[in-house]
This record gives sequence, structure tokens and C-alpha cells, in this order.
Amino acid sequence: MPIPTLANWFARLRSGPSGDRAQLRIGIPRTLAIWSTHQFWLGFFAALGIAPRNLVFSSPTSEAQYHHFGRGRGTVDCCYPVKCMAGHYGELVFGQKRRLDVLFSPMFHSIPSFLDGAVKTSLSCPRVMAAPENIKAGFLKERDVFGERGIRYVSPLLDFGEPALVPGQLHAALAEVIPGLTLAETTRAAAIGWAALQRFDAGLRAESAAVLGACARRDAPCILVLARPYHMDPGIGHEIEGELQAYGYPILWGQYLPIEPALMAWMFGAEMQRGDIASPFDIADVWPSSYSANTNELLWAAKFAARMPWITCVIRLTSYECGMDQPTFSPVQEIVERSGTLFFAFQELDATKAAGSIKIRVETIAHYLEHASGDIIRQKRRLMGAGCPLEDATSQAA
Amino acid sequence: MTRLVGVDVGSTTVKAVLVADGAVRWQDYQRHGTRQAEKVLSFLERMEAEAGLVAGRDRIFLTGSGAGPLAPLLGAKMVQEVVAVAAAVERLHPDVRFVSEIGGEDMKTVFFTEAGARRGKQVYMQAACSGGTGTFVERIAKKLGVTPAQLAEAAYADVSRHEISAKCGIFAEADANSLVKAGVPVEEIIASLFEAVVTQNLATLTKGNTPLPTVLLLGGPNRFFKGLREAWQAHLARLWEQRSITLPAGAMVDDLVQVPPAALYYGALGCVEIARTEPSEVGGYSGLERLHWWIDVGQHEAKARAGAKGLAGDAEELERFLRAYAAPPAPSSLDPEPEATVPPGPRTREPVVIGCDFGSTTAKAVALSAERRLLGSWYVPSKGNPIEDAKLLFGRLREAGFEEVAGLALTGYGKDLLRDVLGADLTVVETVAHARAALELYPDVDVICDVGGTDVKIMILRQGTVADFRLNSQCSSGNGAFLQGVAERYAVPLEDYAAHAFRAQAMPQLAMGCGVFLQSDIVNQQRNGWSADEIMAALASVLPLNVWVYAGQLRNLQAAGRHFVLQGGTHRNLAVVKAQVDFIERRVPDARIVIHPHAGEAGAIGAALAADEARQSGVASRFRGFAAIEALHYRSTTSALTRCSWCTVQCRRTFIDVAVEGGPGRRWSKVKLAEGWERVISGNSCPKGLIEDKDELRVVKSRYEETKRAHPNIGELVRAAAFRAVR
Repeated sequence: MPIPTLANWFARLRSGPSGDRAQLRIGIPRTLAIWSTHQFWLGFFAALGIAPRNLVFSSPTSEAQYHHFGRGRGTVDCCYPVKCMAGHYGELVFGQKRRLDVLFSPMFHSIPSFLDGAVKTSLSCPRVMAAPENIKAGFLKERDVFGERGIRYVSPLLDFGEPALVPGQLHAALAEVIPGLTLAETTRAAAIGWAALQRFDAGLRAESAAVLGACARRDAPCILVLARPYHMDPGIGHEIEGELQAYGYPILWGQYLPIEPALMAWMFGAEMQRGDIASPFDIADVWPSSYSANTNELLWAAKFAARMPWITCVIRLTSYECGMDQPTFSPVQEIVERSGTLFFAFQELDATKAAGSIKIRVETIAHYLEHASGDIIRQKRRLMGAGCPLEDATSQAA
Repeated sequence: MTRLVGVDVGSTTVKAVLVADGAVRWQDYQRHGTRQAEKVLSFLERMEAEAGLVAGRDRIFLTGSGAGPLAPLLGAKMVQEVVAVAAAVERLHPDVRFVSEIGGEDMKTVFFTEAGARRGKQVYMQAACSGGTGTFVERIAKKLGVTPAQLAEAAYADVSRHEISAKCGIFAEADANSLVKAGVPVEEIIASLFEAVVTQNLATLTKGNTPLPTVLLLGGPNRFFKGLREAWQAHLARLWEQRSITLPAGAMVDDLVQVPPAALYYGALGCVEIARTEPSEVGGYSGLERLHWWIDVGQHEAKARAGAKGLAGDAEELERFLRAYAAPPAPSSLDPEPEATVPPGPRTREPVVIGCDFGSTTAKAVALSAERRLLGSWYVPSKGNPIEDAKLLFGRLREAGFEEVAGLALTGYGKDLLRDVLGADLTVVETVAHARAALELYPDVDVICDVGGTDVKIMILRQGTVADFRLNSQCSSGNGAFLQGVAERYAVPLEDYAAHAFRAQAMPQLAMGCGVFLQSDIVNQQRNGWSADEIMAALASVLPLNVWVYAGQLRNLQAAGRHFVLQGGTHRNLAVVKAQVDFIERRVPDARIVIHPHAGEAGAIGAALAADEARQSGVASRFRGFAAIEALHYRSTTSALTRCSWCTVQCRRTFIDVAVEGGPGRRWSKVKLAEGWERVISGNSCPKGLIEDKDELRVVKSRYEETKRAHPNIGELVRAAAFRAVR
């Protein structure tokens, strides 16, 4: 129980429901499944009248962030993407010029996926789901750090894989911190959030289509990254793909590949006709236990890579000791390599970037890309046959 | 009156107390020089003579890493070390909330909670790595020529400090060396070491708990090093301020972070505390008879039992091994034709291709004939000036009689620096060069293991490409330099290492892992009576474990493949090869293991093969010619303007400016360079130093950004846009 001091009495006072939502400041840790729901939150909270400048995402992960804000609050967890969250919480609690009123850190039971309908379900990793509980402990174990600073800690369990449940879950969690919040209003705001997220995803899929179209027209190679969404965080994925980009290769990510019907028909049509798969998004042929959203998408993207002639190289990123990734190593590698596509895995990503060995590995990959890409494209084009809609200049995204 | 004896047998010292009537009647603390049993014997003999210790009446409890084999000999009960320390603290300091005990080769922390009469405790300990322990500080201080007395008095407060790796003792040594080279005063390095020890303890042994006042610091290093105490005080004071910990009114940090006078004896005192809580028949002191027997007979028998079978195995096994690996390698396609030996003959007038490997310690070159036969190899030790190294190396090639060069390729650390200066046709990354050299002879190779003097590289191949690559970068364990150091200590030339090691019938088992502990383990085993031959055998046999598991982080060898190629200079040592073969075959029973016939020059050969491929594509070589290289005109500048400013080490770099036709010059540089000149930077201790300064970074960065703009990265678009409000 914190001892009441003048400072935290004032803090309490300021955080009380003032009726003015535009003043309410909400912080969200930029971690884990937030990397696939970001735009939902921007759309959702804006629709509730939270000023954009008052919605604060923590900075990207860095060792300095953990050092300043998270040290000594870590928990025993070998998963760095979870462990680093202590630094994000700490930054939101201690590192803001203007204090936050709410630390919003949802626990995702399931996450949205474009494969929904074709797979069994889209759960998140149990470690990812429980991470907020786990990390919270480091701020409550000795003293209630949130309470002392007048910060409300809000951490609802959310079923993002079942959008109909989400408004109720969010309303229950936020009714106390957002003055006058009704379920109807939450439902409307959630719809705006979904729309924002879908717009964002669609925009990036169009960018990817444009990249592939440009490659197709010039018969030029590009690279596909297979990783979990949070590997886009420079402190977790260490921007390894950016070093390959600097060698002159466009980089696609498995989360944002084009999925327009004509392309899907060209890539998967024959298999569907044979009855091997039920839809272009069916992965039962390679991954029958399709319950994890990120894993399902990894496997689907591996299939995409195998069939797409201009993806001549796949880079796999995995964090140290990732139990979810472990069983996917061989299937993903085999799917990619069977098509003759180059495959390289960085499997032990952790807090520190092993810059020396990464530099040599990137140079190594660039060497093989330069020498083998032409043959790989020719071989995959022969296998896939003519008529790829990407080669048609008019398919270029606006 | 029953006397209670507590003995703490640590990794470097023995501490003992005798308590009667609730008061300490006898105590001593001495280094045991790895003779733990002998030291305990002499302590107990003195207690019997000086303090009336009597067998059959009095009680004895032992703790510490060396107590295990001794306790049953004395009738003593074993107490776990952290439990012992905590028991003493609970009794003597009811108000203490946090304890750090740092030992020679371990470190522990204990957190006490306030709850109730029986206080909760949380204990953490680590003893696998030297980072953060007393050895870490002492070893480096010794290297710096700091006496123990100076070390004890060295200050922390008000001394500038520098970055030193706290993770690994050997890397810390490397950091300390570069600080010395950069002219940093010794006192600042020592203060930085204290900083590293405290940082490491707080980083690894707090696990989410805040060390609260009052804090107790125990163990030799905390007791003896004034600077270490100051470092703790500074760190804890800052931490308490950050975490808004309410301190007792008027308390000074000195009062809240204490080193008690008996700081060395808490393990031993804790034994006595535990003794008080145990029934009186537990730990009855049985006298010294069996300890005498142990010292004279028992420990030697135990040693023989604990030791492993010799590295060589039996005569038949050794012969089988030597037949497979010591015989000259089977003729390979790279071998020179018998009549085409170098030096000069008419054949050398034919065009050759040259591959060079500019490493950090040596520069090597090989020449291949048009039929890809190896015509010879040359090497020069690196003098730190790549231009001079290159001139010397190409001088050797010229002496050998080569005239026409049809292709030149470079690999190694210096490849990009020298590419334009020498007119190389291409540069080849190290991994690809090594793989190319192995694939030339063994097209189905799966794993290449290259153990050099200072690094370990493991390359895993799939579909003829290097699919995975491990470079030991976190830990220095497992390289060849260590082997060489030990051989030198025994005055055994490296060529004779294997013969000595194979002579050993048995060998001690050395600890895998940290090179610092490996070194002290060797000293221990030597004192245990193991001979030089036996220790050399043991060292070779632990090397594969360090290479694959500790440095390479590769636990499942079978998944990597079955065809292994061993190369790198360290694999010229057959004792190492025997250990590698045993190690690999145990894990991959159907493994095929070969030593590359040109183990030391594989990198240069790979480069030459790549150059030959380029030659076959019909492109004329850009090679500047021997005469031009010999005549290379350069000027070097070492001044305040060339000093590296990327980090606190501030390496004293040298800019070597070479006059080269078409050289781009550096207009923006503080040390201006006209067109027609090329700059090569040397003297830096990390790759960052190859970029001259902020101005060059700007130039490099804008080029980099341009490439990136032309080739989008979807991940980067996400980073840039995903967390911004929708417009």
C-alpha cells in the first residue's frame, strides 16, 4: 500500500474522471501483438475522442530502453520479445514528460488473420497472451508503481479472432477509465478501428504487389522475410533485412503479401482443381494443426514464396528459444527449398545484435543471391507456367 | 563445553571459526593454493592445539564449493553455501534486506523480505562464468601490473570510467588492453572493472527484486577492494533515488551499505548457526585420521577414478586413427603436378590466378595454374599496415617467378580496403571462400569447422550454399591460441603437441566453458599431480565441446549433416583432430570427417578459385601488376585528426593514403585527400573505425538511403507508418 504523499495525492486528483476525454493520456507498449493491431488502436481511441497526441506508443525496443527503464524488473523468461516489455512499461511509467493516465496493455487470446475461415483458429502464442500479467508483476511485486504514479493499469483479455466479442470486452475494461463510455459507442469505435487496420493492411499488400510487379516486369529478384510481426521492431529483428535491402533487393514481409483473386488463382488454382486444397488460404496440406495465427501465416507465406518466381530468397528470423517457431523450422525450410528458392535462417535473435557475424552472413547471402537469382527465377517460372497477372503492367497498384 | 566449528572451503581460500559459549574463540582465513584438504587439516590441527577442539565431543559443519569430499571424512555435516551465509546474516543483522557475496569464482545474492518473524529469503547464485567475480578483477589487475595492495586501495569515486565488457573475463581483458593502448591511466581501468563487477551482479542476480537497505557486502573482493565498495554505494544510491526508496532519516550511504569486519567469515559463521538448530548428534567431529588417509592415499585414488581414459585410446585405436588422419592426404585435384614445382621454371610464365586472404594476424596468398593446380602458398605476418603487408606479399609472389596474372580475388578482413589499390577483380566474403575451397575437393560437404588462432567459424552448407554460419563473438572459449599458450608454458613446440598428448594413458576432466576458469582448472589439475602430457591431452579433448557447444551454440550435430571438413591452423594439431573425430563420431555415428589438405590456406584457395571462375568468363583482369604494387606510393597520417571518435576507446588510427589512378579522393575529410588518391584506414580495433567520421557517415548514409529508396522494404513502411494516426 503506497504511503499518501502530496505528490501522489495530486497525481490521483489529476487522473480522476474529469469528463474531458481529450485530456486523457493513454500509453500502449509497442510490443508483441500490438505489431499487428496498431492501426486498430489509433482508429478506436480517436473515435472515442482521445486526442491523437495523447495516445502514446512506447519507443521501439532497444537495449538502452531496458537498461534505463526495465532493469531489475525483468522476469524469468527466455523469450526476449516478452522480456523486453519491462523496458516498454518502464518507459511509459517513468519516461514521459507528461504523465500518462492509463497504461493499456491488452492480453490477446486470439488475433485477426487473413487466413480466418481457411484455418482452424487464430490463437496467439500463450506466452504472448500472458506477457502483460508476467511483466506487470515486476511493477507490483514490491510496491504498486502504477498506483504511486496515478496510472491506471488496464489489461483486458481480448478475442481479436472473434471481432463480435471485442466491443463487449473493451467496454468492460475501459468503462471505468473513459468517462461516460457506453457499449454502443465502443462498438462504433471498434468498427472504425477495424476499418483503419484493414485499410492499412490493404495498402501494404498493394505496395507488395507493386514491388512484385516491378520485379516481374524486369525479371529481377526480391527477398521475402518470414518472421513474427514483432520482428519488424528494430530492437528485436535488428533490421537484418535492411542490410540486404542496401545490397539492392526489395524486401517483402509474409504478413503483407498480395492476395487478390487473380493472383491466387494463378498460384493455387491447379491445386484447388485437383482437390489438394480447399481455398488459396488452405494450409492443411502442409500444416494440419492450424491453430496459431502467426504460425499459420508463416506457413502460408512459405507456400507463397515457393510459388512466386521473383522471390529468390527467404530470410527466416526467429528469437532465441522460441517454442512456437521450433516445430516450423523443417517444414518452412523444406517448402521453400524444394522450389529451389534460397533459404537462410537467423535463429538465435536476442537482445544484443551479433553485428560481426550478421555482417558476414549478410555478405554471404548477398553473394549467393547475386549468383543464383537468375537461374532460380528461370526455374520457378518454368515450373509455374505463363500467365502471371503480375507481369501484366496494368496490375500495378495505384 | 561443546565447541562448534564452521569451515568454509571456497574456490581460492579456506575460512574457519570455532565458537564456544556463543563467542568466537578461534578464526583464520588463508589461500589454499588448490590444496584444500591440506589447509583444512592444518586449521583443525591448530584448533585442537590452540582452542581445545576434541574429537567425539565437539561438532563440525562444512560449507563451500570444496567441502563435498571432505565433510564425510571428518564426521561433518554439509551446509549449502547460500543457506549458510543467509543463516549468519539473519542472526547477526536482523535489519539487512540484501546481501551480495562475491567469491573468487562465484557470486551470490540474498534478498530478505520483512514478512513476519521468520523472514522470507530469495537466493541467487552463479558460478559458471568469471564475469562479475573476484578472479575477473584480480586477473586483469595482475596483467596491468597492479599489486594486491594497490588494488585494495584503488578508488572508484571521482575516477573517470570506461566501457568494459562485464560478460566475459577474457573479453574484458581485451577491452582493458585497448584502453591501455589508447593511453587510459591504469586507475581509470581499475575503476571501470569495479563498475563492471557491480553492473554484472545487478544485471544477473537481482531477477526483478530491488536491493533495499540495509545492504551487506560479504566475501573477499567486497571486503578488500575499497573501490568495489564505493561502486556498490554509488550504484545503490542511484537505484534508490530512481525507485524513490524511502531511506531512514539522516542515514548516510556508508551506513546503509556495510562491509562488516567479519565479512570473510559469514559462510563459516552460518555453519555454526545451522549447527545450533540441528540435533546435537549431527556433525559429531570424528578426528583427523581419515583426513590424513585422504591426503596421503585417498585423493590420489579418487583422481585416478575420476580421470578419463587417455585421448589416444588403446594402441589399436590410435593406430587406426593415425592411419586415417596422419598419413599424407590422398592426392587431390588441387595438388601441383610433380614437375611444376615452384620457384621459377618456364611454366610460371604461364598466366596464373591469385587468391589472397588478408586476415587480422596474417596475410596469405596462393597461386593456381590454368588447370587449377596449386602452385604454391605464401604468407606474411600482418604488421598493421595493409599496404605494407600487400607489398611484402606480392613481393614474395614476384620472387617466385610469376609474371602474368590472369585474375586476382581477395578475402578476409582487408578485402574491401585493398580491392581498388591492388586492382582485384573481385572480393569474396570469408564464408564463401572457405566453402568454395571445401566444395572443390568434397562436393557433398555439410559442415565446415574452421578453428584458427583467435576465432572459431562453423559453416553449415545446404544445396551448395553456406546456409548457416556461427562465429564465436560472445565468448572466447575454444580457440587455438589457448592451446598454444599451454604448450608454450610446458616448453613443447606446437608440432610435438600431439605426440605428447597421445602418450597420456589417462587425463583429468577439464571444465567446458569459460577460458578463465579453464586456466585455473589446469593449475588445479597440475597440483593434483597430473603431468604436462596428461593435461595437454585433456585440453585437446575439451576443445570440441567448447568449439561446437559453447562457442558455436550447436547442440544437435546430427541435424547439421554427416560430412565434416576440418580446417584452420589449429587442425594441423592431430591431438585436436583426434578429439574432434571422437566427439563428432559419438554424436553422428556415420559421420565422414576429413581434414582439408590445405587447412591453413583454405580462404586464399577459395578466393583463387573464384578468381579463376571470373577469368573463365573472359573478363580481363584489373590487376595493377607487380611493378605497380611494388611502387605504390603512400603517405600515412597519425594525428589528433585521425583519432577515432565513435566510442570512448578513441583508437589511435592511421590514415594511409595511396596514390592510385582514378582514386576518388576525399574532399569532405578533415585530412583532405585530392582526386587520384585512395584512403585506407588502419589501427582501428573494430569495424566502425573504418568509417572516418561523421562527414563520411553522411556520405555513406546518403548512398545507402538512395539504394533503399529504390528498393522498398515493407517492414520499414510498417515501422514508419503503423504507429501514426490515420489521416
